[in-house]
Amino acid sequence: MKRCFLLVGLPLLATALIGAGNLPRRGGAYHYTLGPSDPPSLDPVHITDTVSHAVVSELFDGLVAFDHTLKIRPAIARRWVISTDGRTYTFELRPDVKFHNGRTVTADDFRFSFEHLLNPETRSERTWILEKLLGARKFMAGKATSVRGIHVRGPHTLELTLERPFVPFLALLAYPAASVVPREAVKRWGRQFSSHPIGTGPFRFREWHHDDRVVVEANRDYFQGSPYLDQIVFRVIPDAMTRFQEFKAGNLDHTDIPTGLFRVIQNDPSLSSMLAARSSMGINAIQFNLEKSPFRGNRRLRQAFNYAVDKTAIAQVILEGRVLPARSVLPPGLLGHDPKLHGYPHDKEKARRLLAEAGYEGGRGLPAVTLYYNTGLVNRKIAEFVQGTLRDIGVMIALRELDWPAYLNLLDRGEAQLFRLGWLADYPDPENFLTVLFHSRNVGSKGNLSRYANPRVDALLDRADESLDTSERARLYHEAEKIILADAPWIFLHYYSTDVLIQPWVKGLREQISAMDSAPTLGMVRMRTVWLDK
Amino acid sequence: MSRYLAGRIGQAIPVLFGVTLITFLLTHIALGDPVRAMMGQRADPEVMARIRTEYGLDKPVWDRYTLYMAKVLVGDLGYSYRQDRPVTDVVAERLPATVRLAVAAMLVAMVLGLAAGTVAAMRHNTLWDLCMMILSLLGISTPVFWLGMMLILFFAVWLGWFPISGYGDGAFRHLVLPALTLGALQAGYIARMTRSALLEVLRQEYIRTARAKGLREGVVILKHGLRNGILPVLTLAGIGLGDLLVGAPLTETVFGWPGLGRLLVAAVGNRDLPVVMGATLLFALIYLGANLLVDLGYALVDPRVRLLKR
Repeated sequence: MKRCFLLVGLPLLATALIGAGNLPRRGGAYHYTLGPSDPPSLDPVHITDTVSHAVVSELFDGLVAFDHTLKIRPAIARRWVISTDGRTYTFELRPDVKFHNGRTVTADDFRFSFEHLLNPETRSERTWILEKLLGARKFMAGKATSVRGIHVRGPHTLELTLERPFVPFLALLAYPAASVVPREAVKRWGRQFSSHPIGTGPFRFREWHHDDRVVVEANRDYFQGSPYLDQIVFRVIPDAMTRFQEFKAGNLDHTDIPTGLFRVIQNDPSLSSMLAARSSMGINAIQFNLEKSPFRGNRRLRQAFNYAVDKTAIAQVILEGRVLPARSVLPPGLLGHDPKLHGYPHDKEKARRLLAEAGYEGGRGLPAVTLYYNTGLVNRKIAEFVQGTLRDIGVMIALRELDWPAYLNLLDRGEAQLFRLGWLADYPDPENFLTVLFHSRNVGSKGNLSRYANPRVDALLDRADESLDTSERARLYHEAEKIILADAPWIFLHYYSTDVLIQPWVKGLREQISAMDSAPTLGMVRMRTVWLDK
Repeated sequence: MSRYLAGRIGQAIPVLFGVTLITFLLTHIALGDPVRAMMGQRADPEVMARIRTEYGLDKPVWDRYTLYMAKVLVGDLGYSYRQDRPVTDVVAERLPATVRLAVAAMLVAMVLGLAAGTVAAMRHNTLWDLCMMILSLLGISTPVFWLGMMLILFFAVWLGWFPISGYGDGAFRHLVLPALTLGALQAGYIARMTRSALLEVLRQEYIRTARAKGLREGVVILKHGLRNGILPVLTLAGIGLGDLLVGAPLTETVFGWPGLGRLLVAAVGNRDLPVVMGATLLFALIYLGANLLVDLGYALVDPRVRLLKR
């Protein structure tokens, strides 16, 4: 009998014990840092930042959502059909989805929510999410009372028609601005809906103490299943070192890493085991203004600058090895990214030769150049490093720092010759990088701030944007990217990364961090499946 | 007294008017386009133009100012561009945290500053004097950011006596470290002012008389010395309290304290012009109030000052 127990009972007991440890536990409050700033808004139509996104994505749902691999998965839409011409999307909605006020969501709620976003009176900053719908521009201009491209085909059937095919449209619908909101609450609260957000999400709003914390609690009736956590306390802690100390004291369940501490953490046996680091879909660059002298029409000069700057040193020294040096526009993991592209590796001799061919041998005769950057320790370090490396080939540049709004205004006006600017993906599609940042129709505040204009690239991007064939799109985008790279409208510095510290008792978070997350907000992570093992 | 108060309030009106005019012109001309700041990096010029029209930002500055003042006169400070809430709500909800921290910091500063200054004056030209003055100099010159972080490391992380950061609904434990950090700077100024004022007073004949009468040294210092020497300290403390009430962005940043200082800095950074205007107007009121309190305090402390005779 004893032997029988040892043979059968012990392994069963062990399995049960180990298994129990792995089973998700319900309960507990997750202490989540939003970083330095209070969310500007909790109204989905006004979300432009990652801080608000982190909270809003727990309170609201749209038709579709991203999974951690950034593939589109169903959310309120159970399934959908795309017409063969790629213009019409028919969504079948789940009938069991309820707002936090108890009312069932219907297709008409989506029509209201989408028209609310596009309505000029709403003053939404994110109208571009839905402006590709048929008749959206007319509606936004006040020339139509409804959007022609939105049809309610039944209580739970919604049809959306686009002006022209646009493959990333589903990705746009996963954006928080395309969430469904209850008409009665929006009408009741008006502009103050942000302080009384009601959605369908896995958590419902409880309280918001501005500049201190936002508290949300579990929605036990959530249509995809109740969250494990009882509540999430989103804390606003302005100083990175204070956040780090709060994390070390166990008061935060995850946090970002203060500048300058990445190597220290990597070398600390305890902290390094809590580190979660991955590359993200974003690129940092120094951009040339192609409408301004001396960079206008002088490709060799731009290439010389590119070869002069040591991107590996920036990645390894200034950014402590957190990031990869950029070799092209499209970051790894994005459709069309080509690991064989080499960009402009550091080569001082080549830089000097190109500078001479550009007409400025040894930097002589080069007009005064100022490199602008927006306030930030890392930005300043990079700017000073670039200034130093360019001095090595005889080019002297001045530096000027501005705060973000003044900086954007300056870039919009096209007054900066040379400026630092990064880009993080709004959605995981090459269109969001190449078309937005390099198509001539987007020159200026729409995204193309380097004012790059190449008809060949425009034509390739137009074809790629409208193509329904994935491999064809990849090929066209790749071709466009090669031309852009050769034209050198930017100094391609580095891709971005997301680095966070996660407490050992937090389960289900680390594996969800996607390439579109940023630290510490992790807005793409679904907190519904996160649980605490303590 | 009531005539004096009415006169002071009458004087405040043109000051407040001037503050609104200068602040409005500065914010609307120097800070630039608030809509661009709201839009994020990718912004459609047509949408921005529509939003500017909605906010009335396409009107000339003078028209905007007259419209703004018409609303201010009926108590409407407008809506925050960023938070889409009334500015009065945005500012009012920061006041409790700000007042709590300012008063606590001023208490710390008065207790530490008066004690250090008195000890230094009583032990003039001794090691005590030197130590107190070095400490006051440290209080004045230590960066708030560094001091706050050191206090966090020692008292919160190592000893675990206080929380590291956060408001904690105003709990006393959350208040101690920010108040110490903020109070240290003011304590330094008050200590130095107390010392010099007391040294001046202690040379007076009536102090010699008090000592000759055989009064205890404590009574001489507290009753005859400090009471006569406290007027300049009171002025300093009054202005200091005004400074503390308009917020202390660095201390608030280190401790994650949701006060007016952080609000204003963020509002300037985000070009939230209605909040900048509303907060500045409140700050002007606070300074005017603090100055009035100091003047009223003079009359209470010094019988030679009579408000009605002014």
